[in-house]
Amino acid sequence: MSTAFSEEQRDCLQELINVAMGLASDKLARFLNTFVHLQVPAIELVNSVQIPAQFEARYSHTEAALISQGFLGNDGLRGEAIVLYQLDNAHRIAALLGYDTDSASELEMLTDISSILTTTFLNGLADQIDNSLSYSAPRVLSSRQNNVPEALQETAVHWELALKVDISYQLVDHSFNCDMLLLIPGEAVLNIQQILDRILEEY
Amino acid sequence: MALPVLICDDSLLARKQVRKSLPESFDAEFLTAGNGVEALAILRSQEIGLVFLDLTMPELDGIGVLEAIKQDGLDCFVIVISADIQPEMQKRVTELGALAFIHKPVNPEKLVVILKQYGLI
Repeated sequence: MSTAFSEEQRDCLQELINVAMGLASDKLARFLNTFVHLQVPAIELVNSVQIPAQFEARYSHTEAALISQGFLGNDGLRGEAIVLYQLDNAHRIAALLGYDTDSASELEMLTDISSILTTTFLNGLADQIDNSLSYSAPRVLSSRQNNVPEALQETAVHWELALKVDISYQLVDHSFNCDMLLLIPGEAVLNIQQILDRILEEY
Repeated sequence: MALPVLICDDSLLARKQVRKSLPESFDAEFLTAGNGVEALAILRSQEIGLVFLDLTMPELDGIGVLEAIKQDGLDCFVIVISADIQPEMQKRVTELGALAFIHKPVNPEKLVVILKQYGLI
């Protein structure tokens, strides 16, 4: 985690994210009709210029899909959530869910999953900080993408900061990995710090 | 007499949230643990009447703690307070002997209902 947060603020943000992720996992489990092992998501705040390089290693030898959804709330809360998927195991999940296994159906499935993850996660986060969000429709930034850093570069350039939320789901019989990136404007750090301090003051 | 209560969660905020959700009339002496290993060390060395237990934790998770409590025959009530709210998980912790399963963030009214139900307040 960046030095932008104190240890107490980091703990607070992590707990807010854990709770939101628990809600998203439950929704995903119901959608996939299976049990998902929930791990504590690793979170990190980074400058968005660093983002492409950070994902280079993980996505360099695999096809990936990137799906984006914008969000907007009260008090200037806004950003863009990007979910990245490795397509290796998407075929199996698509078959499991009864989607056709052609690439268009696979993308439809990933768009559905992104929408569930993003909106449930962000609503869970917003609820805890007494905010409420609206969303744009999920948008496929790229599919069958062999150059993830480049695709990320094009989007990340519009924002100064990114909150990385590293999500790894283990389904009962399948592994399912994705990364969520919350791209946010630079001034958001101050906002987030104030929100965290307000919560910390309550306890 | 004050009830010895252990609050086990890796998050400081979550531990404080539990503490703050309890009514003032709840006469307890509080201990805290940041993971399952710490919790078991406390549970094995002293009498604890009630444990508030998180599930997703480093070192040893809440399921591991429940299994150890059962295996060692430790005599304490356990209320699970978790962000992992899948029905399957609720079933597992109940089967392992937890009294109740509360979703995070903890709702003080629900907590009071459960504590009353088991005669803890």
